[in-house]
Amino acid sequence: MADDTKTLVQGLRQRDPEVLDRLIEQYQYRLFRYLLYITGNTDRAEDFFQETWIRVLERGHQYDGKFKFESWLFTIARNLVIDWQRQKKAVSLDSLTDPEEGRGFEIVDEKADSPLHLFLQAESQERVQASLQQLSAPYREVLLLRFQEEMQLDEIARIQATPISTVKSRLYRGLEALKGLLAGGAA
Amino acid sequence: MTNDLHARAETLIAKERVEGISPVEQEWLGKHLGECAQCTESAHAMQQALRSLRTLSISVPRELAARTQLRVWLRAQELQAREPRWRLIWALCGASWVAGAATAPYVWRGLEWIGHRTGMPDLVWKMGFGVWWALPAIVAAAVLLMEGGEGTTRKNVNGAA
Repeated sequence: MADDTKTLVQGLRQRDPEVLDRLIEQYQYRLFRYLLYITGNTDRAEDFFQETWIRVLERGHQYDGKFKFESWLFTIARNLVIDWQRQKKAVSLDSLTDPEEGRGFEIVDEKADSPLHLFLQAESQERVQASLQQLSAPYREVLLLRFQEEMQLDEIARIQATPISTVKSRLYRGLEALKGLLAGGAA
Repeated sequence: MTNDLHARAETLIAKERVEGISPVEQEWLGKHLGECAQCTESAHAMQQALRSLRTLSISVPRELAARTQLRVWLRAQELQAREPRWRLIWALCGASWVAGAATAPYVWRGLEWIGHRTGMPDLVWKMGFGVWWALPAIVAAAVLLMEGGEGTTRKNVNGAA
């Protein structure tokens, strides 16, 4: 185990708030972006952001450093969102995790403007954002993890608690859909 | 050029991004793209989509990190304050079990004597002996339940997640 990881594991085990402070600074952008992608809502992403770090503090002793910290972090964040969905909706779990079952995982706030929209400035980014909004959350999530976080397929599979074959299938479908949407928007 | 070749090219274009392709496949694809404008356009569209995705940026709300850090500090303090209480509870439970084991024969005889004196059925005073053993566990469970209740209240107050 590298020294950095050892220090991290020790700090989390001891619930050292200074270690947490540094981690929050370091991962704020990536975690918030991930939460925004999977919830589709700024306010909820903020709530889950805070809850995720509280959970990291409380369950820090469970992190053993075998895998990358960000994988563990994203798994915690994802589980919080899924738990919340489970409490809010009396839907089957399949519809939360399987994009073929519809867009149950996605949280849409009908009163607010598209939250991603508020965050994006450049015109070209708006087009990408609009396309992403049309994708269901599990597709957005794999695209983010693979092409923005540049995670390996097995890491994504661990976070999503799905087989690698499912991750691949979602990536192929997500890419195809995104390509189609962007090409359609450009025409 | 057959549709099969275009379909294979399309598959490889995506596969290259998702899981990578072999040198042989790479060579075949390169050659095919050199000859096919339609597939070249598709490869370009894929590249463009990924470039757009990678350059997509968001802004983290101001003060979110600071607010989170504050909450984490407060929660850390709260957990730290609870630790001695927990140690005390476990120490008391341990002492209680040790004392329970040491005094078990006397308690048994005592309860048996009371049972016979009062004429209560054997089952009742034997159950009393069971309760005597389960008492530390019952107290620990009650404390745990109370802790759980506090946690839920905290979450509701925060109104998050």
